[in-house]
Amino acid sequence: MNNRLKVLRAERDWSQQDLAERLGVSRQSVNAIEKGRYDPSLPLAFTIADLFGLPIEAIFLREGETL
Amino acid sequence: MPGAGQGRGGLTMRTPALRRFFRIHIVLSVLYIALVALASQVIPDDAAPTPMVIGFALLPGLVVLGWVWNMGRLLVEMEDEYLRMLEVRKMLWATAITLSVCGGWGLVELFAAIPRLPVFFVFPIWCGGLAAGQLINRFTIGDGDCA
Repeated sequence: MNNRLKVLRAERDWSQQDLAERLGVSRQSVNAIEKGRYDPSLPLAFTIADLFGLPIEAIFLREGETL
Repeated sequence: MPGAGQGRGGLTMRTPALRRFFRIHIVLSVLYIALVALASQVIPDDAAPTPMVIGFALLPGLVVLGWVWNMGRLLVEMEDEYLRMLEVRKMLWATAITLSVCGGWGLVELFAAIPRLPVFFVFPIWCGGLAAGQLINRFTIGDGDCA
Protein backbone atom coordinates (compact mmCIF):
# COMPACT_ATOMS: atom_id res chain seq x y z
CA MET A 1 0.00 0.00 0.00
CA ASN A 2 1.34 3.43 -0.96
CA ASN A 3 1.42 6.23 1.58
CA ARG A 4 2.50 9.84 2.07
CA LEU A 5 4.24 9.27 5.35
CA LYS A 6 7.70 10.25 4.12
CA VAL A 7 6.40 13.51 2.61
CA LEU A 8 4.40 14.40 5.71
CA ARG A 9 7.38 13.65 7.91
CA ALA A 10 9.72 15.72 5.73
CA GLU A 11 7.29 18.66 5.82
CA ARG A 12 7.67 18.68 9.59
CA ASP A 13 11.42 18.12 9.42
CA TRP A 14 11.13 14.96 11.50
CA SER A 15 13.55 12.07 11.26
CA GLN A 16 12.25 8.53 11.21
CA GLN A 17 13.34 8.27 14.83
CA ASP A 18 11.38 11.42 15.72
CA LEU A 19 8.24 10.05 14.12
CA ALA A 20 8.77 6.63 15.73
CA GLU A 21 9.00 8.20 19.18
CA ARG A 22 5.85 10.25 18.59
CA LEU A 23 4.00 7.10 17.50
CA GLY A 24 5.48 4.87 20.20
CA VAL A 25 6.88 2.37 17.69
CA SER A 26 10.35 1.39 16.51
CA ARG A 27 12.24 3.30 13.80
CA GLN A 28 12.23 0.05 11.82
CA SER A 29 8.43 0.14 11.82
CA VAL A 30 8.37 3.67 10.41
CA ASN A 31 10.92 2.70 7.77
CA ALA A 32 8.96 -0.41 6.75
CA ILE A 33 5.68 1.52 6.53
CA GLU A 34 7.23 4.37 4.53
CA LYS A 35 8.71 1.96 2.03
CA GLY A 36 5.41 0.09 1.68
CA ARG A 37 6.89 -3.14 2.99
CA TYR A 38 4.48 -3.25 5.90
CA ASP A 39 0.87 -2.13 6.15
CA PRO A 40 0.09 -0.89 9.66
CA SER A 41 -2.83 -2.18 11.68
CA LEU A 42 -5.95 -0.04 11.80
CA PRO A 43 -5.20 1.24 15.33
CA LEU A 44 -1.69 2.31 14.27
CA ALA A 45 -3.05 3.88 11.08
CA PHE A 46 -5.50 5.91 13.21
CA THR A 47 -2.64 6.94 15.51
CA ILE A 48 -0.65 8.12 12.49
CA ALA A 49 -3.68 10.00 11.13
CA ASP A 50 -4.28 11.65 14.50
CA LEU A 51 -0.65 12.71 14.75
CA PHE A 52 -0.74 14.45 11.37
CA GLY A 53 -4.29 15.72 11.84
CA LEU A 54 -5.44 14.11 8.61
CA PRO A 55 -7.94 11.40 7.70
CA ILE A 56 -6.45 7.97 7.05
CA GLU A 57 -7.28 8.12 3.34
CA ALA A 58 -5.20 11.31 3.03
CA ILE A 59 -2.13 9.37 4.18
CA PHE A 60 -2.64 5.81 2.92
CA LEU A 61 -3.51 5.22 -0.70
CA ARG A 62 -5.22 2.26 -2.30
CA GLU A 63 -3.22 0.02 -4.65
CA GLY A 64 -2.80 1.81 -7.97
CA GLU A 65 -3.75 5.17 -6.49
CA THR A 66 -1.08 7.82 -7.03
CA LEU A 67 0.06 10.63 -4.78
CA MET B 1 16.78 -18.16 21.11
CA PRO B 2 18.88 -17.05 18.17
CA GLY B 3 18.30 -13.51 17.02
CA ALA B 4 15.28 -12.56 19.04
CA GLY B 5 14.93 -8.93 18.05
CA GLN B 6 17.63 -7.18 16.17
CA GLY B 7 18.26 -3.48 16.22
CA ARG B 8 20.57 -0.93 14.69
CA GLY B 9 23.87 -2.40 13.57
CA GLY B 10 22.73 -5.90 14.42
CA LEU B 11 22.68 -5.16 18.13
CA THR B 12 19.78 -6.31 20.21
CA MET B 13 17.02 -3.74 20.50
CA ARG B 14 16.44 -3.31 24.21
CA THR B 15 12.72 -2.91 24.54
CA PRO B 16 11.40 -3.79 28.01
CA ALA B 17 9.81 -6.98 26.61
CA LEU B 18 13.10 -8.08 25.05
CA ARG B 19 15.05 -7.29 28.21
CA ARG B 20 12.68 -9.49 30.18
CA PHE B 21 12.90 -12.19 27.51
CA PHE B 22 16.70 -12.32 27.53
CA ARG B 23 16.91 -12.19 31.33
CA ILE B 24 14.58 -15.19 31.67
CA HIS B 25 16.24 -16.96 28.74
CA ILE B 26 19.69 -16.72 30.30
CA VAL B 27 18.44 -18.02 33.67
CA LEU B 28 16.65 -20.93 31.96
CA SER B 29 19.72 -21.75 29.87
CA VAL B 30 21.97 -21.90 32.94
CA LEU B 31 19.37 -24.08 34.65
CA TYR B 32 19.23 -26.37 31.58
CA ILE B 33 23.01 -26.89 31.60
CA ALA B 34 22.96 -27.57 35.34
CA LEU B 35 20.10 -30.08 35.04
CA VAL B 36 21.73 -31.90 32.11
CA ALA B 37 24.96 -32.12 34.12
CA LEU B 38 23.02 -33.37 37.14
CA ALA B 39 21.19 -36.01 35.10
CA SER B 40 24.50 -37.12 33.57
CA GLN B 41 25.98 -37.55 37.04
CA VAL B 42 23.00 -39.35 38.57
CA ILE B 43 21.91 -41.59 35.70
CA PRO B 44 24.33 -44.30 34.52
CA ASP B 45 24.71 -44.73 30.74
CA ASP B 46 22.92 -48.09 30.65
CA ALA B 47 20.19 -47.26 33.17
CA ALA B 48 16.87 -49.09 33.02
CA PRO B 49 13.86 -46.83 32.33
CA THR B 50 12.63 -46.68 35.91
CA PRO B 51 10.32 -43.85 37.01
CA MET B 52 13.20 -42.17 38.85
CA VAL B 53 15.50 -42.32 35.82
CA ILE B 54 12.76 -40.98 33.55
CA GLY B 55 12.02 -38.22 36.07
CA PHE B 56 15.65 -37.09 36.17
CA ALA B 57 15.90 -37.25 32.39
CA LEU B 58 12.79 -35.10 32.03
CA LEU B 59 14.02 -32.33 34.34
CA PRO B 60 15.85 -30.50 31.51
CA GLY B 61 12.68 -30.98 29.47
CA LEU B 62 10.88 -28.68 31.89
CA VAL B 63 13.38 -25.99 30.94
CA VAL B 64 12.58 -26.57 27.27
CA LEU B 65 8.94 -25.93 28.16
CA GLY B 66 10.14 -22.76 29.90
CA TRP B 67 11.94 -21.63 26.73
CA VAL B 68 8.77 -22.14 24.68
CA TRP B 69 6.67 -20.31 27.28
CA ASN B 70 9.19 -17.43 27.30
CA MET B 71 8.98 -17.11 23.51
CA GLY B 72 5.20 -17.04 23.65
CA ARG B 73 5.35 -14.43 26.40
CA LEU B 74 7.64 -12.30 24.26
CA LEU B 75 5.10 -12.31 21.42
CA VAL B 76 2.30 -11.33 23.78
CA GLU B 77 4.30 -8.54 25.42
CA MET B 78 5.94 -7.03 22.31
CA GLU B 79 4.24 -3.70 21.77
CA ASP B 80 5.70 -2.95 18.34
CA GLU B 81 3.48 -4.72 15.81
CA TYR B 82 6.07 -4.71 13.00
CA LEU B 83 8.82 -6.26 15.15
CA ARG B 84 6.27 -8.76 16.47
CA MET B 85 5.36 -9.68 12.89
CA LEU B 86 9.06 -10.29 12.15
CA GLU B 87 9.33 -12.59 15.19
CA VAL B 88 6.22 -14.52 14.16
CA ARG B 89 7.58 -14.92 10.61
CA LYS B 90 10.83 -16.30 12.06
CA MET B 91 8.92 -18.83 14.13
CA LEU B 92 6.82 -19.89 11.15
CA TRP B 93 9.97 -20.42 9.07
CA ALA B 94 11.54 -22.36 11.93
CA THR B 95 8.46 -24.59 12.16
CA ALA B 96 8.37 -25.12 8.39
CA ILE B 97 12.08 -26.02 8.30
CA THR B 98 11.78 -28.37 11.29
CA LEU B 99 8.77 -30.19 9.86
CA SER B 100 10.47 -30.48 6.48
CA VAL B 101 13.77 -31.78 7.88
CA CYS B 102 12.17 -34.21 10.33
CA GLY B 103 9.50 -35.37 7.91
CA GLY B 104 11.98 -35.80 5.09
CA TRP B 105 14.51 -37.60 7.27
CA GLY B 106 11.80 -39.89 8.63
CA LEU B 107 10.73 -40.90 5.14
CA VAL B 108 14.30 -41.69 4.15
CA GLU B 109 14.65 -43.71 7.38
CA LEU B 110 11.72 -45.85 6.24
CA PHE B 111 13.34 -46.85 2.98
CA ALA B 112 17.10 -46.56 3.49
CA ALA B 113 19.60 -47.68 6.09
CA ILE B 114 20.49 -44.28 7.52
CA PRO B 115 20.99 -43.38 11.19
CA ARG B 116 17.84 -42.56 13.11
CA LEU B 117 17.37 -38.88 13.86
CA PRO B 118 17.10 -38.62 17.67
CA VAL B 119 13.97 -36.73 18.74
CA PHE B 120 16.23 -34.71 21.01
CA PHE B 121 17.41 -32.79 17.94
CA VAL B 122 13.95 -31.44 17.04
CA PHE B 123 14.26 -28.37 19.26
CA PRO B 124 17.85 -27.51 18.19
CA ILE B 125 16.73 -27.84 14.55
CA TRP B 126 13.86 -25.46 15.29
CA CYS B 127 16.30 -22.97 16.86
CA GLY B 128 18.46 -23.26 13.75
CA GLY B 129 15.30 -22.53 11.78
CA LEU B 130 14.89 -19.31 13.77
CA ALA B 131 18.32 -18.20 12.60
CA ALA B 132 17.37 -19.08 9.02
CA GLY B 133 14.10 -17.19 9.46
CA GLN B 134 16.01 -14.14 10.61
CA LEU B 135 18.14 -14.23 7.46
CA ILE B 136 15.03 -14.70 5.30
CA ASN B 137 13.41 -11.70 7.00
CA ARG B 138 16.50 -9.62 6.39
CA PHE B 139 16.70 -10.47 2.71
CA THR B 140 12.97 -10.19 2.01
CA ILE B 141 11.38 -7.46 4.13
CA GLY B 142 14.14 -6.26 6.44
CA ASP B 143 15.76 -2.88 5.97
CA GLY B 144 19.31 -4.09 6.50
CA ASP B 145 19.40 -3.33 10.19
CA CYS B 146 16.49 -5.29 11.48
CA ALA B 147 15.26 -8.84 11.11
